[in-house]
Amino acid sequence: MKYIILTYASQADFDDMAGAPGAEHSWAPEDFAAMGAFMESFTADLAASGELVETRGLAAPAHTRRVRLQQGVPVVTDGPYAETQEVLAGYWVVECDGIDRATEIAARLSGCPAPEPVRARAYADVRPLDEFQEPAA
Amino acid sequence: MDRIEDLLRELSPRVLGAVVRRYGHFDLSEDAVQEAMFAAVRQWPVEGVPLDPGAWLITVAARRLADLFRSDQARRRREMEVTLREERLAPTADSPLSGDDSLVLLFLCCHPLLPVASQIALTLRAVGGLTTAQVARAFLTSEQTMTRRITRAKQAVSDAGAAFQMPSASELPDRLAAVLHVLYLIFNEGYATTSGPGLHRIELTIESIRLTRLLRRQLPDEPEVGGLLALMLLTDARRPARTDAAGRIVLLEDQDRSLWDADAVAEGLALVEEVLPRGPVGPYQLQAAIAAVHAEAPSAETTDWPQIQALYDLLLRVSDTPVVRLNHAVAVAMTRGPRAGLQLLDRLKAEGKIRDDHRFHAVRAQLLERAGRTEEARAEYLRAARDATSLPLQRYLNERAVGLTDK
Repeated sequence: MKYIILTYASQADFDDMAGAPGAEHSWAPEDFAAMGAFMESFTADLAASGELVETRGLAAPAHTRRVRLQQGVPVVTDGPYAETQEVLAGYWVVECDGIDRATEIAARLSGCPAPEPVRARAYADVRPLDEFQEPAA
Repeated sequence: MDRIEDLLRELSPRVLGAVVRRYGHFDLSEDAVQEAMFAAVRQWPVEGVPLDPGAWLITVAARRLADLFRSDQARRRREMEVTLREERLAPTADSPLSGDDSLVLLFLCCHPLLPVASQIALTLRAVGGLTTAQVARAFLTSEQTMTRRITRAKQAVSDAGAAFQMPSASELPDRLAAVLHVLYLIFNEGYATTSGPGLHRIELTIESIRLTRLLRRQLPDEPEVGGLLALMLLTDARRPARTDAAGRIVLLEDQDRSLWDADAVAEGLALVEEVLPRGPVGPYQLQAAIAAVHAEAPSAETTDWPQIQALYDLLLRVSDTPVVRLNHAVAVAMTRGPRAGLQLLDRLKAEGKIRDDHRFHAVRAQLLERAGRTEEARAEYLRAARDATSLPLQRYLNERAVGLTDK
């Protein structure tokens, strides 16, 4: 069974992580390095156990382009999200025994070092992938 | 175990080359050789390494190939043009491996009819001897995706009937350029990320250097091959100094040069000295020569910038890309002052070749800072940070911007 573990962040969160001037909860170099080290070992463990299918981190929401139809024509909007709107920040696709195991994996993410207000708000979602299975005869 | 793995990876392209040369059918041969490799991994640690490991692998691969032909034949009997008899698949007594075969294989995998992503994947698997899972992990993608990419690439090579032979003398320059391009892309893929989930990618750097060495052994008289190897070695030598203990980016001018890998520097410098006088001078030799000038300077302050600028002048003539223009502008700023560099950047912008590229704004910020135009530099650093899509880079650029206001 395959599951996707999704994490979320707003543009304001990304500005904090990037150390932008005037950021609300700026990450110190040690904080940022600690997060990197945590993510590295988290992903390496999943690769070692054979449960990792793939993982990616996304760039800041400000780089988003939205394409939608207006009067039958595709129209592009740059940076469609509000500053504090939480959007997808990264994901892991895992292949494991069941949703309980996938949840266990996701729960480990709560150990990720971060400034306290960020930790307090952070969450991850676990969702099964749509995988076709032959119905039982 | 590691010794066996190294031996297998060394033999893999030569075995595959020999099998394809003898029996054709690149796609089936590649599968057969992979299975022979798996058989060796299972058997050799138990039964010992055979006296002639290459011949052993070819024999096992040929047997497996016969099976594959039969099942392939059953599946698409009408398409089969040749019926292979068992005897034809028996290995010959002579030593079957020649280095030439792995070279031909490299040219085949970097065939211009394949998309570049497929050339890379196929090269790493067929010539590098990596498993599909290893290639997939290096590119942060699933094994299924990578299997599909490699399978399609192998079919494309077979369908096109690409001949298993060296390109003709007239084709060679273009085909060699394609091979060097693929090797350099593999190197950069590994060099770009050294932290985060990209940890595995350091292996790609090592692998690209190994393959370029192999190519150089086969084509010792091609100066661009030596140039590319030197460029890789001199660039990779700086890896230990590129980030500080907290993982922050450290620019070349601020790096602790005692951390550079002295062996890699020495080998790179020797290569540059050997290939550069041979001419005609290509882009890899020139970039290697530039890296060599940096490597020879005991400190950033003692860098021979006039020589670097002269080399960039030459590089612009053979490879006029926006990135080369940016580096050229930095070199000009170091020899003739920041204003001269900024003028080149203005011209680059006016020509419309740079659009919203964070590197352009980062370089402009640096030159403005050096020119003492602090407020403009700050705005430009922040602009570069906004445009960048990597957090460590954004942190670096924001730090520079914040640091300026403190002055």
